[in-house]
Amino acid sequence: MDKGFVMRDGENGFERAIAILDMIGKLSDISDEEVDGAAEFVFPELRNTLLGALELHASRELEVFFFSRLVNIFKEAMNAQEEGKKLVFIPFTFPPEIIYSFETIFPLCTEIVGGAITNICYGQGERFWDYAMGMGLPDSLCSANTIGLIHLFMGPGIEPDALVYNSPGSCNPNAKIHAFASDYLGIPQFILEKPVDESTRGRELYFQYLKKLIAELEEWSGEKLKEERLREVMQKSYQAVELYNEFWELKKIKPCPVPNIFSMTLLILRSQMWGRDEAVEVLQKMVDISKERLRTGEFEAPEEVARVYISYIYWLFDFYNYFTWMEKKGITILGDILAIHYFPEMDFSSKESMLRGLADIAFDYPMTRQMGANQISVKWMEDIAYAVKDLGADACIFGGVHACKHTLGTAAYFRREMMNKTGVPTMMLTGDVFDKRHTPMEMLQEEVELFIDQVISKKKAPKRRRKPAKKAAANPETIE
Amino acid sequence: MKAAVSIEKPTTIYNDYVKDWKEEGGKVLGYCCVSTPVEIMEAAGILPYRIAALGHSETELADGEMSLFNCSYCRACLQLGLDGTYDFLDGLIETNGCDHLRAMFENWQHIKKLDFFHYLKVPHFFREDSLAYYEGELEILRDHITEHFSIEITDEALEEAMSKQEEVRAKWRELCSLREMEEPPISGSEVISLIVTGSSMRSEDYLQLLSRIIDERKGAPGKKPKVRLMLCGPATDEVDWFEEIENLGGMMVADTLCFGARAFNKTTEVEGSPIHRLAVNYLDNLFCPRMYTEYQKRKEFMMETAKRAAVDGAIVLYNKFCDLHGVDGVLIRRDLEEIGIPVLILEKEYSAAADLGRVKTRVQAFMERIGGGD
Repeated sequence: MDKGFVMRDGENGFERAIAILDMIGKLSDISDEEVDGAAEFVFPELRNTLLGALELHASRELEVFFFSRLVNIFKEAMNAQEEGKKLVFIPFTFPPEIIYSFETIFPLCTEIVGGAITNICYGQGERFWDYAMGMGLPDSLCSANTIGLIHLFMGPGIEPDALVYNSPGSCNPNAKIHAFASDYLGIPQFILEKPVDESTRGRELYFQYLKKLIAELEEWSGEKLKEERLREVMQKSYQAVELYNEFWELKKIKPCPVPNIFSMTLLILRSQMWGRDEAVEVLQKMVDISKERLRTGEFEAPEEVARVYISYIYWLFDFYNYFTWMEKKGITILGDILAIHYFPEMDFSSKESMLRGLADIAFDYPMTRQMGANQISVKWMEDIAYAVKDLGADACIFGGVHACKHTLGTAAYFRREMMNKTGVPTMMLTGDVFDKRHTPMEMLQEEVELFIDQVISKKKAPKRRRKPAKKAAANPETIE
Repeated sequence: MKAAVSIEKPTTIYNDYVKDWKEEGGKVLGYCCVSTPVEIMEAAGILPYRIAALGHSETELADGEMSLFNCSYCRACLQLGLDGTYDFLDGLIETNGCDHLRAMFENWQHIKKLDFFHYLKVPHFFREDSLAYYEGELEILRDHITEHFSIEITDEALEEAMSKQEEVRAKWRELCSLREMEEPPISGSEVISLIVTGSSMRSEDYLQLLSRIIDERKGAPGKKPKVRLMLCGPATDEVDWFEEIENLGGMMVADTLCFGARAFNKTTEVEGSPIHRLAVNYLDNLFCPRMYTEYQKRKEFMMETAKRAAVDGAIVLYNKFCDLHGVDGVLIRRDLEEIGIPVLILEKEYSAAADLGRVKTRVQAFMERIGGGD
């Protein structure tokens, strides 16, 4: 293996990921043969990323464009401190537009960093996870944020100025690893707790908490949040919201014109780019490509065999054998819990009104909304049931993540009630979001194939009329 | 010199004390977390019962609802809820202690559908705004109990209950100071036994028990432990385990456990209504890893405890899949070892007999390492 793919002097996982991503982002006119050639040249983990993003034409058209935008944002993060800005890490449940509203603070999403390392670096995030285990951290933590944060402990490379997280109240492993990184490394931490309370009282408290967080960030950064800047960011954010709504509508069409991997793209857009031009540009492209596919009737498989909703989150360590594999099989992935967003009507008239809108967005942000609810099981099931019905899903796949004790602790209720309320069956699997060693993708594929063949295909097949029973023969010997 | 009397280990969920209480028409409310002010229940004339598993480690029914990646203590408690052992409860008070606990309560209620089920929402940090919210939560709890059980909870009754609980905390501190002596007349496992026992008793009766034990033990001969240990970790009622550890020659002269010193470390003097004072005392003194941006507070409590009890080493004990304690354990080890106190981290399953041999071997090796093993 070329040593250059592993890690270079002075680089860490994130820097290595940027360097490789930069190359992918420049492959705009690459042919099928060149994709295959490139895939042969690189190590297996990167091959699966390359093929996942580039093998199918519709995916390629978007993903090269998307990667080029993503890498620019990563570079901005890398250079933020040199430009006099403060760099903060945020979890994937934190609306980045809150941070983009500051001119002197730049957000980098912990899990997107972890995901970039996992899907681009040689050996994925395993060395970082193993380092965490070596420190004595429990193996029940979440690989997504542990990998994204632990690479900071190993150095060299980027060093955030603070951690801003909103997982207290909705996710223990996420909140705890962010708190740990802060306590261990001596980096300031700012938190936004989600009260497990959907009443007006709970929402009002959350709004007050958000204002307190803004005040703390203002004091820490020395920058007063400007109304005009906030409006600019929120308007961009709402341009993306309109496209998101259009994107959602496109997913309702059968067969679905939206390529599977766009679901992953949406997740990264929302966690890292929302509130910026890039999110609008990429989403516009996602919508355009999907519409074009609708117009031409393009679909990767002979037929749409099943429309599945991932009732929790995607496993994100092998794009090719997850998204592309299902697409080629005619299995449409309609979304996961992170794809369900609730955007309130935004009142852009004042700073206060926009902050109130932001508080509502953050309150109802995927995972925060469900896992930070008064009842995890009920809110989670209701939201997925809504998506299942609205998008016309035939089945749910619960790709459980061993770190996520909230969903694992209520998944039995979820499956039961989903069946009762929608008649849609759920396949249950447990694995890990970024660590292939937990449950290999081949196992997921086997289970999905069986599930689709045995449950979904039979369910969708026209019911055969039962033949009338033959009359009993007088002579038993005549019975065949 | 008086001989030490033995302290009974709590092993029965529906014990004689609770049976008598129920037979006399008393109500019992279950709760789990130390962030639940028992004073409100006591002021209503209700018996607060802290949910425990008392060594019952079976989980078959609970495993149908929760996964094997969930805390075995929560699953063991849920099992007792689902198999009817806890059917004597007149209701449950949920708290958002951790993800496992929340799942436990949700499943319990989905299946048992208790008439009284209240969710007390506890913030994850102590600040003016979170305190005001928590205070409101306590008022809501008070109203709900009043409405459901048709019992008025007056400020006077609350004052009285608070004063009794403060007496209990003072007795616990006294008990712990006995345990911290050079030749402790009471063992660590006995102290935990007493605390667990008290978690299903009315304070007026519990105070009598504590006073009797303290009086008896004060003059009783003690025994110099080979190794003075501090036990850190979550809510656990595994008295058998603690005995096994102490049988190896070490004594738990201090702890920062949830069924232990964490529950009564500090009382904050504050002015205001009874509910306000309760809110301050419960939220500000919640030395639990579920509290964010407050590690420093926990660290100070732990350091003070370790120094006061002159411990030779510390054991951080937690159940598999507990991220809150598992992560804090890394910081605890770093900070205690920095001041020369060796730390053993033990991840285990709740009260699992199969785990005990492994744990004993590790504790034995640890004690040998710190110079006190056989």
